[in-house]
Amino acid sequence: MPNQNGRVFGLTFLCPILDDETLQISHDLQIRDYLATLPTDERSPFALAPGTHVARLVVMDDVIYVGMPAHEEHLASKYLVFETNTDADLPGYLRTLFDAIPQHIDAVWSHCTGYPGTADFDKLLAYMKACQIPTTFFFAAVNDKSVTETLLALQTQRAVAEFITTHQGMAPAQLQREFLEFYQALQSLPCPAAGGKLPRRVIKTGGHNE
Amino acid sequence: MSKLNATDVQGFVLRGYNMPHARFCFLHFQNAAAGRHLVAQLLGSITTGQLWDNGKPQSTLNIAFTFKGLTALELPLATLISFPDEFQQGMKDRASILGDIGKNSPEHWDALWRGADIHAWVAIHALTPETLEAQFAQLNAIISATGNIHLLGSQDAAALVIDGKLSTKEHFGYTDGFGNPDYLGVCRNTQPGQGKLLPDGTWAPLATGELLLGYADEAGELPVAPVPHILAANGTFMVYRKLHENVGTFRAFLDEWGARYGAGDAAAKEKLASKFIGRWQDGTPIELSPDAPDPSIVADPNRNTDFKFGNDLSGSRCPVGAHVRRVHPRDAFGFNGKLVDRRRITRRGMPYGPQVDPTTPQDPATLDSTDRGVVFMALNASLSRQFEFVQQQWISYGNDAHLGNEKDLLLGTHLPGEKFSIQGDTNPANPPLFCANLPNFVELRGGDYFFLPSITALAMIAMELVDPR
Repeated sequence: MPNQNGRVFGLTFLCPILDDETLQISHDLQIRDYLATLPTDERSPFALAPGTHVARLVVMDDVIYVGMPAHEEHLASKYLVFETNTDADLPGYLRTLFDAIPQHIDAVWSHCTGYPGTADFDKLLAYMKACQIPTTFFFAAVNDKSVTETLLALQTQRAVAEFITTHQGMAPAQLQREFLEFYQALQSLPCPAAGGKLPRRVIKTGGHNE
Repeated sequence: MSKLNATDVQGFVLRGYNMPHARFCFLHFQNAAAGRHLVAQLLGSITTGQLWDNGKPQSTLNIAFTFKGLTALELPLATLISFPDEFQQGMKDRASILGDIGKNSPEHWDALWRGADIHAWVAIHALTPETLEAQFAQLNAIISATGNIHLLGSQDAAALVIDGKLSTKEHFGYTDGFGNPDYLGVCRNTQPGQGKLLPDGTWAPLATGELLLGYADEAGELPVAPVPHILAANGTFMVYRKLHENVGTFRAFLDEWGARYGAGDAAAKEKLASKFIGRWQDGTPIELSPDAPDPSIVADPNRNTDFKFGNDLSGSRCPVGAHVRRVHPRDAFGFNGKLVDRRRITRRGMPYGPQVDPTTPQDPATLDSTDRGVVFMALNASLSRQFEFVQQQWISYGNDAHLGNEKDLLLGTHLPGEKFSIQGDTNPANPPLFCANLPNFVELRGGDYFFLPSITALAMIAMELVDPR
């Protein structure tokens, strides 16, 4: 079944980008410019939209002709590619985006052909359905766990590692007492914020490990 | 099979000279003509890979250039821009990728590496201090006669003497220098464990193109190399890193955690030290002999690198994060070790600085502040695919080994909150240990990326014959 693997959904959209020769800065470049400024940490729009495992936005200008014997082909327009792995199906996830980050949806998709805006959820859903393509194979970063379960598991892993480093070698009775206290405290911790934990990677990093 | 013309390859590339004394000289060319003239003058003295049928020479001479050096030599622009990005950038500009942050960042390097641009590395290896000085005097005479060449500084290195004998130990006490890969066509007795693992469990030499430019690599492709081909062929790229060793910090850390490991006695401390690296301090691989050093293994080239991790995925013999396992995971990641064949480097390191006197106790601060460590030099066809990958992914990160953000204990640049995991031992008296409050044992004091050309390429540079068309 496309678009779903266990409890995780993989959604892919190809949204044609507006072509307006009268603009000084074309719509596709305006999307690129906006995407380049988005934070990747807990302030990322997709960290603010609950249930997002990963999300990727790519501007695809055209297919690249790689030389003979490839057949030279071109796209009818430029496209915005939106791929995401989420805990909800399209209506559910779109509702999340609609509620959590409407300003970002508008800022990006207002450069796309036929985008109805965020005033009417049903129109937005119809638009995204029209742009959706079946996703049959997608990045599986988690073992069928929700984003919340994953974030809590990572928090538990870090806390347990910290507990072990500070308690190793302790007398069994005291260790058990402190572990029970630790366990209680861990249960009451809130779920950590989503978002990248590493420093922002600048565009000009250069080089690659192929 | 690749056939090498060993007389066209600099000897330093094809073999570790195993000479106890070395001096690495760093030069700046005032102008291109002077640089070319110097290369021409040195050309006949450069040590090649030709076999030493009449025994070792008294000393050797080799040369390599930074990208700024090749620019100063006025190689054609079309040639210069064909060098790989990371070489053009140089090691300073790759600091964020290499994890050279904090005290290891370039603004803290030795003055030599923060001053005028280093254009060339000229290496002298010698059998005795006298022959080293004699070769250096000759080099100096040529530099003076050439004019407009500045010797910016030099770095001496020397094998440590243990019990009156030359050793391959470094200042922390570990025996170093095992496990350089074998390559097709390189005339050397192949050793099990030294090349790539085959599906039947035996070892075979790596493709020549993993070391030398101009030959097929493990993907069956020619490595990314500058044009023209003849400039690149038989050459390679070298990493030079001056790694200061905080011996006092290392000893204090080993004392502190050794007391909490196993029985907490001297034997436990020795065992813990072996867990950091994956070898006992005498060089015995703990994968082969986890309970005690075994000199017979160290002495046997057919055994001292012949081990795998596939049957020790839990790390009970050799910890998953031990140094030798990180930098050469062998079959630890499955697929018969195929995932590591394009990540191998050849090392040519040597200790520098005064040897720690075992008879005179010194305080940790003095041990730390003394200028001593290891001159780490590594050779590979692709700096980004080989050295940088190992440094970034396997030294400074642990995800491939399922260790999350953990780093190599001794080489990693540690931040507050990091830990180092040692899995439980085969001996139940040694449960898992998690070392915390990790200090920085090693500090980077300078370095760069160099191109080590073939003899033909050196002649072309000297004669201004490099033609990218």
